[in-house]
Amino acid sequence: MNEKLKNKITAAVTAVLLLVISLFCILKPADDFSESERRLLAGAPKLTFESVFSSEFMEGFEAYSADQFPAREEFRGIKAFAEYNIFKKSDNNGVFQAEGHLSKIDYPGQPDMWLNASEKFRNIYDNFLKDTDCRVYLSIVPDKNYYIAGKNGYPTLDFDELAGYFRKEMDYAKYIDLTGQLSAEDYYRTDTHWRQEKITGAAGKLAESMGVISAGNCRINELDRPFYGVYRGQYAMPCEPDTIYYLSDEIIDGCRVTSYDTGMPVEKNMYDMEKAVGKDAYELFLSGSDALIVIENPAAEEKRELVMFRDSFGSSIAPLMTQGYSKITLVDIRYIQSSMLDAFINFENQDVLFLYSTALLNGSMALK
Amino acid sequence: MVFSGIPFLYYFLPIVLLIYFAVPQKLKNAALLAASLVFYAWGEPKYVLLLIAEIVTGYISGIMIYRNRGKAASKIWLAAAVIFVVLILCCFKYADFFIENFNALTGISLPLLRIALPVGISFYTFQLLSYVIDIYRGDTPPQKNPVTLAAYISMFPQLVAGPIVRYSDVRERLEERHTGFDDVGEGAEKFIIGLSKKVLIANQLAELCEIFRMSQEPSIMFYWMYAVSFTLYIYFDFSGYSDMAIGLGRIFGFRFKENFNYPYISKSITEFWRRWHISLGSWFRDYVYIPMGGNRCSKFRWIINIFAVWCLTGLWHGAQWTFVVWGLGFAVILSAEKVLLSGVLKKAGPAAHLYTLLIVVLGFVIFNAADMGQAVSDIYCMFGGGSLPGVSEEAMYYFKSYFAVLAIAVVGATPFPSRIMKCIRRSKLYNKIMCIAEPAALAVLLLLVTAYLVDGSFNPFLYFRF
Repeated sequence: MNEKLKNKITAAVTAVLLLVISLFCILKPADDFSESERRLLAGAPKLTFESVFSSEFMEGFEAYSADQFPAREEFRGIKAFAEYNIFKKSDNNGVFQAEGHLSKIDYPGQPDMWLNASEKFRNIYDNFLKDTDCRVYLSIVPDKNYYIAGKNGYPTLDFDELAGYFRKEMDYAKYIDLTGQLSAEDYYRTDTHWRQEKITGAAGKLAESMGVISAGNCRINELDRPFYGVYRGQYAMPCEPDTIYYLSDEIIDGCRVTSYDTGMPVEKNMYDMEKAVGKDAYELFLSGSDALIVIENPAAEEKRELVMFRDSFGSSIAPLMTQGYSKITLVDIRYIQSSMLDAFINFENQDVLFLYSTALLNGSMALK
Repeated sequence: MVFSGIPFLYYFLPIVLLIYFAVPQKLKNAALLAASLVFYAWGEPKYVLLLIAEIVTGYISGIMIYRNRGKAASKIWLAAAVIFVVLILCCFKYADFFIENFNALTGISLPLLRIALPVGISFYTFQLLSYVIDIYRGDTPPQKNPVTLAAYISMFPQLVAGPIVRYSDVRERLEERHTGFDDVGEGAEKFIIGLSKKVLIANQLAELCEIFRMSQEPSIMFYWMYAVSFTLYIYFDFSGYSDMAIGLGRIFGFRFKENFNYPYISKSITEFWRRWHISLGSWFRDYVYIPMGGNRCSKFRWIINIFAVWCLTGLWHGAQWTFVVWGLGFAVILSAEKVLLSGVLKKAGPAAHLYTLLIVVLGFVIFNAADMGQAVSDIYCMFGGGSLPGVSEEAMYYFKSYFAVLAIAVVGATPFPSRIMKCIRRSKLYNKIMCIAEPAALAVLLLLVTAYLVDGSFNPFLYFRF
């Protein structure tokens, strides 16, 4: 008797679950963007004879149905909870928590990516720097895994091996080691980036190695909104937000920032408050990703220029380097063809710094 | 389309169920056929025509074999049908394998055809073969209604990954079936358990195998962890899919036979193959091994029969030498067991179990290798070749991280959980709450699976390539 009742209830519960969720799937309006994952969500594919016959519609629908699933964030949270608490996994999608930090496993090292990056840098050197009086420097920003992963039992790429590789391949550049200037606390807890207010030592080391000075006593300003870094979205579980602080002084405030992202000069701010309330508050620093930015310091005591090949880590450290330079040009060769650089920069008697994070070097396919 | 995907679970299946249960009895096969063609077209629109061509072949030849029974024409129709469907299977699945080997042997460079493999072709080809052969043998009459036959051949619950359902097993229910709450309830339970095996266990083990292949710190421990993980993965993946197929079949009023019966508790390879992919093993037994003479012939001929069947079994799994070697390896072991080892294994106790597991694990290492070079290298490293360290930090990390999944998989591959459930069901207390507790647990499992599907894009399904 109970078996029959159980079967009835099972049939009813399953049917209700399938039908209710199905109805929500069909009726829920599509979202454009996932805040937590910081990516565009797949939209509904167009239904045409060609798209069906080529399977394009089906592939699009698979992505659409997963991306637009009702209560998607909640379901992702349930999965993360199950991974950590039921299956006792050490990480969920590679994201783990250690010493109060969220981080992502960066293992294994990708030597083919290192080769790609070193070849790109070699081309830049050969084409624009080799026969000039520019002074070339290299510095690698260790991932926060360097400070927390290994000692907490998580696999991490061998930073010393990576740094050794680039030092050898970029023998034309003087290497500046930042590992001693940083610690886990110098990174946001929920994000991959370093905290500007904590990297004055690193900026000082770079400046000293290049024979200039960096920002000294700065004002510490607090951004009045919480900062949920990139790992928070991937973690999918509740966690405390970070706070963004940004540094300023008379020199930083007096600098003129011009973006050439579109080819035409556009005036920008060192700290972009519009971006600070956008999807990624870290874009506060020099408005986020930009192919080419020029920072001019009218208060500079001598005419000295820095060209910094960089990724997003460069955005927050560049303001701290303004003290020593009359002009800093920031180049992100993920967004500009490196072969076209001479159209924008006249390489002559500058300090040239290649400043890249391990994450970028270990996944360098975006470099152009 | 895969069962373990959101389009199937929350778009296709609810719509099909609504239509299927809404239409009158006489239209149920037509509804099932329409749903199956949409299901098949989702993955391979152009190959629907191929499926239809094979169904038409089966329909016409079945009727002609039956009409000409006892005459030579019956044999000709059977031969024509068998040659046609086997040729199609060979063209799509084995042409490039033959060309590659022909080129290697002769030094000629014939171009490869590079034809995409139609999903599930190995399964529906075998169903069609059993259909026409059974009619020829007089075991079953042909199906006169083309829609009913098409519904059988293309039935989406078992179309792409089996089990291989014989026409004679479902003939009566194809003609007339009634689905009650017991069918839907038990079918839903089987489906959700199969879905959970696939998504919650198999997919995670597949991740671990993928991590192993990307590892830069190989160690003996990591090789063994991979071998065990893959062995568990393929069981949970395939038996999970079979459970889903059986459960869906039940919801639509069919009773498909079990395809797995705890194969990893076997104490000999002979027993293992009685418990693993039962529908395929019995198909080869009934349509290849016994017609060749089975064991009712000379010992030499018997061994030849075993090798022929296992060579074909290997090839059925894929057009690669690894599968052939895998199949022939079992032929050697099965022959040895039949001739030499059967008495020893009966007395060996736990050692027989260990022996079986070791053979099975090594077999699946060969099965999953990209080529024979990798298979040999993997096995060599498992036994300490290549001067590998015993343990690496990376291997330890993933062992700890996946320990619970591996432990659940090991226990879940035995009848232990099922026995516990039976004990619990016998208790008076549970009897009172079972009607709520079990459906609630299934609902939680379904939601958990949904969470994994929403979050993850890592959802491969191995048996599609067969």
